[in-house]
Amino acid sequence: MRHLKRVVTHQTALEKEYDVVVVGSGISGSIIANELSQKGYKILILEAGPGKDLTLSGYEKYLNNFYTATSKDNNAPYKRNPNASMPRSVDVKKKKPGKPNADSYLVQNGPFISDFTYSRVVGGTTMHFESKLPRMLPEDFNVLSTYGHGLDWPINYEDLMPYYRKAEFEMGVSGNVSSQTFSKQKAYADDYVFPMKEMPPSYLDKCVAKDLDGAEIKLAGKTYSLKIRTFPQGRNGIPNENYKKFNNGELFKPVGAVSEHQAEEGERCQGNNNCTPICPVQAKYDGRKTLAKALGTGNVDILPQTVASRVVIDSATGKVDQIVYKSYQELDSDEHTTSTVKAKLFVLAANAVENARLMLASGLNSTSDQMGRNLMDHPYILTWALLPKIAGTTRGTICTSGISDLRNGDFRSKQAAFAVDIHNDGWGWATGGAETNLLNIVDNQNKFGKDLRNELVHQISKQLLLANMVEMMPDPKNRITVDHKYVDRLRNPRPIVTMEIPEYTMEGIAFARQLSKFVFQRLGAEDYSKYDPMDYGYVKYKDEDYAIRGGNHLAGTHIMGTNADDSVVDRNQKSWDHKNLYLVGAGSMPTIGTSNTTLTLAALCFMSVEAMLKDLEA
Amino acid sequence: MDMNNEQLDEFLEMSTVLTAFSAYKLKGTGQLEAYFNTVVEIVGKATMDELLNAYRKVKKAANNDETVLNKQLRFQILSNDKLGPITRNIIKMWFIGSWYQLPNAWRENYGEAEKDSTFVISTNAYIEGLLWPTIDSHPPGAKAPGYGTWASKPQISEL
Repeated sequence: MRHLKRVVTHQTALEKEYDVVVVGSGISGSIIANELSQKGYKILILEAGPGKDLTLSGYEKYLNNFYTATSKDNNAPYKRNPNASMPRSVDVKKKKPGKPNADSYLVQNGPFISDFTYSRVVGGTTMHFESKLPRMLPEDFNVLSTYGHGLDWPINYEDLMPYYRKAEFEMGVSGNVSSQTFSKQKAYADDYVFPMKEMPPSYLDKCVAKDLDGAEIKLAGKTYSLKIRTFPQGRNGIPNENYKKFNNGELFKPVGAVSEHQAEEGERCQGNNNCTPICPVQAKYDGRKTLAKALGTGNVDILPQTVASRVVIDSATGKVDQIVYKSYQELDSDEHTTSTVKAKLFVLAANAVENARLMLASGLNSTSDQMGRNLMDHPYILTWALLPKIAGTTRGTICTSGISDLRNGDFRSKQAAFAVDIHNDGWGWATGGAETNLLNIVDNQNKFGKDLRNELVHQISKQLLLANMVEMMPDPKNRITVDHKYVDRLRNPRPIVTMEIPEYTMEGIAFARQLSKFVFQRLGAEDYSKYDPMDYGYVKYKDEDYAIRGGNHLAGTHIMGTNADDSVVDRNQKSWDHKNLYLVGAGSMPTIGTSNTTLTLAALCFMSVEAMLKDLEA
Repeated sequence: MDMNNEQLDEFLEMSTVLTAFSAYKLKGTGQLEAYFNTVVEIVGKATMDELLNAYRKVKKAANNDETVLNKQLRFQILSNDKLGPITRNIIKMWFIGSWYQLPNAWRENYGEAEKDSTFVISTNAYIEGLLWPTIDSHPPGAKAPGYGTWASKPQISEL
C-alpha cells in the first residue's frame, strides 16, 4: 500500500471532485472512509494534525519522543502544536474561584475540573487509547425506562449487534465471550466468539482473584458475587479457531504495523506494559490500521495539517454547502492559508468535543439547542494499595482483568454502575509510577545499594491499583460551548468545558471507594489511597474526600434521538437539520453505561455507513 | 569529552556500591560514559574530581569492610551538602536514565549550570534503566518479555 501518495496537496484537492468530505482521521473517520471508498466513492479526509506517522519511521519518532519525555502523559509522543492543540493532563490546574482556567487549550469553566485528553493526530485518540473494547449492555440502551435515569436510545442493543461484530472484526478483539455475561439479557449468540482468544490474565490478576473470587457484597438489598474476569481488548493475540465460521471459514488474520513496506511487527502483543500512551510494536489497534486500508483503495485522499474551521450552510436548502478550512505548513508557525471544500456528503468525525466545537463555532447549535450539551465522560476514582506478597506488578498489557459484576443491577435506579480495572502498571496513574517510588526511596528514605533494590521490589512489585470507572448520565448543563474571547493560534474558537459530577455518579463513586476498602481488607493489602484537597479533581461528597480523574471517554455532545426537538442526530447519526451532514462518534451516544466508548462508536459508524450509501445512491 | 580512564573506572566502582549491580552489569547498559559525562558537564570537572577523591578516601578507610564502607559513604559523601545530591543523581541515572535538577539550595551555593534541568539522558538510557530488571520487569514501552509472560510469577529474590 502506498499511503503517502494519498497525502495530497491542496491544489490537487481543489481540482478534484469528492463525494464525501470527512473531518478527522481517527477511528470513526477511517471506518467511514474505508467502507465508502470500497464502494468506489471518492473521499477527502481533513486532518488537523500532522500526517507523518503512516510510515514505520514516522511512528518510531513518536516512540522516541515518548522515551525521552520527562512527563509520560497520554499525549507525550506528540510535539506541541499550537495550530491544532490537544488537551494534556500536565496542563491541568486547580480552578481558582470566579473565573475559568484558560491558560491551556481547553477552557475549563468548572465547577469540576477534568484532566481528560484526546489526540489530534492521524489515527486520533486511538493512538493513545488503552483499547479495552467491551460492548455496552442490552440494558444500557433503555436506562431511562428501566432505571429511571439518563435517556433511552432510539435503537436497541439488537439493532447494533451485527455492527458490534463488524467492529470486533475491524479492531481485532481478543477476548472471551463467557467473561462478558453479566447482563440479564442475552447479549451474544450462543456460538459467538471473538476473533482472537482472551489475553492471558496477569499474575497480579490471579493474586487478586485467589482471595476475591466468590466474595459477596450487598447493594440496594441484593447480593452480588464478585469474580475477576478478563476484558475484551483490541490487541493482537492468538486467533480463535472457532471464529472461522464468522470469517468465511478463515482464521482471523491479525493486522500488524502500519507501514509503507512489509514490516514484521505487531502481529502479537509482547507485553510492553505501555498500551497507553503508545504501543511500541503496534500490536494494539489504532485508527491508522483502518485508514491504511482506506488509502489503499486509491479512492481516499488526505489533507493533513488542515483544520476544519467553519461549516457553511446553504440557506435555501439547509444543506451543508462547504467547509472552510485553515491549512498550516509548520507546527511552530501560525502561517496558514484559508480555503473551502465541497462535496455531496459531509461527515464530522473529529470526536465529541471537536465536532461540537466546530458546529458551535459555525453558529449551528441545532433546532433542539442540544449541540454541545449532555457532555459525558467516565469519571474514575482510583484506589491503591500494597499487597502482602510480590505480585509482579508492571508486567503485561496495561490491564487484563477486573470486576464487572456491578456494571448492571437494580441498584442503577439509585446510583451509578461501575467497572473496576486491575492496573498491571501499578500505581502510576495515581502517584506517577515507579519513578516516584525510586525518587522517594533515594531522596527521603536515604537508601542505596542492596537496601534500595529490596525497597524497590517491596514498593513496586506489590502494587495494586484499582481504577473504578463510573457511569455518568447525560445532563444538558454539562456542555461544550465556544466564545470568541478564547481562540487558538489559527483564531479557531477553543472548546469551553462546563462540567459537574452528578449526584447519581457521586453515589457510585462513593460505593466504589467502599468496595475497594472491602477488597483490600480481604486481600490483606495496605490501603495507600489519599485524596488531596489541593488536587484539581478534588471533590468532597458526604464528608468524604475524593480526587476524580477523567476517563477520556468523551460523549454525548450531539446525541441521537427520535426527533429534531430532542436531539441533534437521528439513529444513523445524520443531522436532523442538515440532510447531507453526519456527526459521528461518541458524541452521538445518548448514554455510555460502563463501557469504554470506542467499540460502540465504531459499531455506530458501521451502521451509519449503510445510511450514507443510500444517500449517495439517491 | 576528554575522559580520564582511571576516573571512569573509579566512577564505575563507586556506582557498583551505590546500585549493588556488578561492574559487568553496569557496563552492559552501555551508559557508563554518558552518565559520567553528564555529571561532568553539569557540575564541572573539579567537582567530579572532588567526588572521586572523596570516594577514594572512603574506600581506604573501609579497607574492604562492607559495613564501614557503607557508613563512610554516608559520612563523607551522601550527607555532604555538595556531594550528596550529585551522588543521589548518579543513583537515579543508573536506575531510570534521567538527570534530575539539583536542589535549589545546591544551585544557590554551588552555581547554576545551564544544563541542570530534569531530562531523560537518551532513549537508550531510558531503556537501560536498572529499576526494571530489579523488579524482574522491563521499562514501559521497551524490552517487552513476550506474549503471555505476564501470567507467570516474577523471578525476584531479596538481596
